Amino acid sequence: MQLSRYEEEMLSGRHGPAKQRAMEGLAQLGRAYGAARMVEIGYAHIHAGMALYLEDIQLMEQLADLDAHMAVPASSNIANADMLNWQQTGAPESLVKLQKRAIGAHNRMGSACSFTCTPYWAGHWPTWNMHMTSIESTVTIFCNSVIGARSNRDGFFAVYAGIAGRYPLFGYHLAENRRGTQLFEVDARVSGTSDFSCLGYAIGAKAGSGVPVVSGLERRPTLDELDALGAAMGTSGGVSMFIVPGVTPPFESVAQAFGERPIPAPIAVRRADVDAVYTNFCTGAEQDIDVIHLGCPHASYEEMKSYAALLRGRRVAARAAVWITTSRSVRRMCEEAGIVRELEAAGAKVIVDTCPISCHFAVTTSPDPALNVKPPALRTVMVDSAKQARYVRDMIQCKTLLTGTEEAIETAVSGTFHPRRADRD
Amino acid sequence: MTEIRARGIVDGEATGPMLVTPALSFLGDIDIRSGCIVGDLPPQVKGRTLKGHVLVMPFTRGSAGSWRFLYQLSKLNTHPLAIVTDDLPDPSVVQGAILARIPVACSPQIGTADFAVPGRRLRVDVRDGVATLSVES
Repeated sequence: MQLSRYEEEMLSGRHGPAKQRAMEGLAQLGRAYGAARMVEIGYAHIHAGMALYLEDIQLMEQLADLDAHMAVPASSNIANADMLNWQQTGAPESLVKLQKRAIGAHNRMGSACSFTCTPYWAGHWPTWNMHMTSIESTVTIFCNSVIGARSNRDGFFAVYAGIAGRYPLFGYHLAENRRGTQLFEVDARVSGTSDFSCLGYAIGAKAGSGVPVVSGLERRPTLDELDALGAAMGTSGGVSMFIVPGVTPPFESVAQAFGERPIPAPIAVRRADVDAVYTNFCTGAEQDIDVIHLGCPHASYEEMKSYAALLRGRRVAARAAVWITTSRSVRRMCEEAGIVRELEAAGAKVIVDTCPISCHFAVTTSPDPALNVKPPALRTVMVDSAKQARYVRDMIQCKTLLTGTEEAIETAVSGTFHPRRADRD
Repeated sequence: MTEIRARGIVDGEATGPMLVTPALSFLGDIDIRSGCIVGDLPPQVKGRTLKGHVLVMPFTRGSAGSWRFLYQLSKLNTHPLAIVTDDLPDPSVVQGAILARIPVACSPQIGTADFAVPGRRLRVDVRDGVATLSVES
């Protein structure tokens, strides 16, 4: 791989041990993928440090101890506990104390303590054609597909890219890979984030690691719907990027989305395919609902407003806990707008930095036994997101009920399960 | 002894008995605390441990969280000694293997199906992008 003089200097250790370690990792990664050279990145969404995994927080502390600093603007991903109001989540204090050590590490390195899977709602918005890195697949897909930035689905090395300000040129950083591979023709009325989540899940399962081109939508999706669409595609498939012609820069048409390649025969997606995702994740029983969750991926300010409008003047039934998860930045805006007060008056909890599958509810973690983490025995978790549903099944290992956002709130208020009514719109 | 050339992905050297599996996802198919295969997989591999084995499979099933699980396996000392695949593994697997110091090779001259024998010892030696796989007879 061709390295610039500055990159060679970083590799040799001339710019300190943190940049050296970062470049060593990135150079190995680049060689593995046959990258010709490095590119300068403009943004990094990096690991938070996860207290539910053995010696994982220490990975970030070790970098801070090496005097690592972010060379570019950096946000931190979702964490394993609400570090601001953890008492309302039932998390053990020992876990929260360990998780809070991540704050110190990020402050020393200059990465923002955003602790969210939707950093764009918290102000981290890259630009078209900006090379970037992300440890969170939802962020990779949103930034590639909605903003037109260039990102792979990375792992831990996103932090190395942030330290070096560089990333090897391969994958979705190359224009030739930013082209459609399959055409999905949507022949269904879909509306709201839950429908778009189920649509994305259905498409992702067929798209594998390709770049699905999504055509036939009857209107331009909202930013929240695009976010839901991508998050679900990255869950059922290995999708890093989708193309909605007219939305995804710079693709105006289906033909442009395929570039030089011939347009493949369309794969039809019907309402039955969307409904099948809801049905597939309705395994639980209404009398067993322990948690009703909204905010996967972490809710935007717009979504928080919509939850408040749906819950205004109402009260959730006592049986289930209602968790609304968002970033601490969006929560702060909602506090100042009176939205948090309204949600809490209705009996909902507004939780930040984490979510059900990322917190101590998950049974597939490996915490230090000294933390004494005991996942609660949950029977059924109700969600409005196919991504959350899939990982509730696999990581919390309990039953799920997947429905629309409005139906989830109706269920919370009435105590009676409201399945998604496709004919409502 | 049969020697096979392969593409070197993560440098390192290890020798151990082969565990030959279908494509695995590190997130979901492996219990990280025990290192055992728990996913929906054939009976001859289900329940087997990765620990102390050279893991041989056609490809890795993608998850952006793979790196974290490989790192956890190494911290819990239940990690595979080396990984050999036919297809290039996902970036997250490569990043986890570098972090956990697990050698990785891919694209052997002859497919893994043509040389992998469960339990037979395989030496994996990866240096500067080139891997040598030595199957003990």
